[in-house]
Amino acid sequence: MITVKSKSRQDTIELGQKIARDFKGGEVVALVGPLGAGKTTFTQGLLRGLNFKAEVTSPTFVIMDIYPTKKGDITQVCHVDAYRLQSAEELLDIGIEEYLGVKNSVTIIEWADRVAELLPDRYLLINCESGLKENERVYRLTQVNRP
Amino acid sequence: MINEDKTKYFFSIDGLTRTPYINMKILALETSCDETAVTIAVADEKKFRVLSAEVFSQIKTHRKTGGVVPEVAARAHAVKLPLLFDRAFKKAKLSVNALDVVAVTAGPGLITSLLVGVETARVLSWQTGKKLVGVNHLQGHLASAMIPDNGERWTAVKYPMLALVVSGGHTELLLLRGSDKVQKLGATLDDAAGEAFDKVAKILGLPYPGGPEIEKTAKGMTTGVYDLPRPMSKEPNYNFSFAGLKTAVLYRVRGQALTATLQKQMAADFQLAIIESLLAKVERALVEFKPASVSLVGGVSANQALRDALGQLIIGRYNDVQLILPSRSLATDNATMIAAAAYFQARAGKFITWQKLSPNPRLKL
Repeated sequence: MITVKSKSRQDTIELGQKIARDFKGGEVVALVGPLGAGKTTFTQGLLRGLNFKAEVTSPTFVIMDIYPTKKGDITQVCHVDAYRLQSAEELLDIGIEEYLGVKNSVTIIEWADRVAELLPDRYLLINCESGLKENERVYRLTQVNRP
Repeated sequence: MINEDKTKYFFSIDGLTRTPYINMKILALETSCDETAVTIAVADEKKFRVLSAEVFSQIKTHRKTGGVVPEVAARAHAVKLPLLFDRAFKKAKLSVNALDVVAVTAGPGLITSLLVGVETARVLSWQTGKKLVGVNHLQGHLASAMIPDNGERWTAVKYPMLALVVSGGHTELLLLRGSDKVQKLGATLDDAAGEAFDKVAKILGLPYPGGPEIEKTAKGMTTGVYDLPRPMSKEPNYNFSFAGLKTAVLYRVRGQALTATLQKQMAADFQLAIIESLLAKVERALVEFKPASVSLVGGVSANQALRDALGQLIIGRYNDVQLILPSRSLATDNATMIAAAAYFQARAGKFITWQKLSPNPRLKL
């Protein structure tokens, strides 16, 4: 596990950007943490690192958003916000399987603990926490490789 | 009826064809997110009359399950749509054959939800040969400004119009130089205003949906106890940001017991912070663009404190500007606004064939 402290919004965006730079396609990122822990900001950083330049807003209301992009084999990023969902089954109904782990896609799931059954054997788990000060955040990165 | 005159005249009929829309009968479908809605309306240059409007909202179910969507997925829309169809046609006392136009929300929204409405509309158009209109959901919200409040006459609006669209999924400030000439001035960079209401309600231990709950809890409270930020309100642009405001609330209540006093006071101060952040940009646009009218649309426009604050701003300092506050029943997602927007599109000849219509979750204005 790697622990990274972010002192600002900009720090968080740069962190996300750095991590996404090495993505090749098919990656799944699971973000976990309470309201206001900086999940959407981190996602904005990841998207920046995946060459998506337009604005990225919270998809809480629509649940899933697809962003077209171009970075190597990656042509789209699927951004899921499971905040309003109760079960993994609901995400299947929405059609998550078309993106999850697919070679030309990167899938980023906020509130991933709500749909844990759907996570593949390999994914990047990111635990997000608020720090002591209002702008501080703590990110704990774990590469999950289930046999 | 839409007049498609195939006769060869001695003169050009272009320019004369602006008036063939007498009693255009429109069926409108809206399935872009949670709400499944069907409206049948009759429209012409002067009038807009709703024959039937059926909405299946998930909000009742939300209450029971304590704040989450049980069936946001396409499945729910697919189950509800035929039932609503049946009710809508019965109430309107109309058959499918009597329709002139089939309209549907083509985006933005959740792809699988949009698909249900779009596919239904396509099949209808293919089967019946009815003209098809794909409507942008935001155009629907904008058109709600024109929907008659009392009676049947369209509300006459002045252009340029400044429109603030505030809902669970959108927060946008737009400048309209005509019903289809839309310029986007700015939007939220993170959370939508309605989403901020819902999430702060959750932080304060209030039920879903957060907007009405915060409004109710804040009622009668004096503001100014908690010093909350007005994010981006000083920045020289038209964008909004509400994620930081949510965090600010979180930090101020952290470690404290959620007493009724705390809930009430924080609800009041948070509501004021959101309203002032929104109105700061509205006022900036009033000064820069000098619009002839201002409209407030979308789910959050049902908030009375926001309606009052906008009213005070306009009456106090910009009283030559027309203020348009559509009925609160049109605030949340509905198909009546889609029918209204479809009328304006149809009048301008903006139809699409069923072969070409497809949903677009990131559809722009």
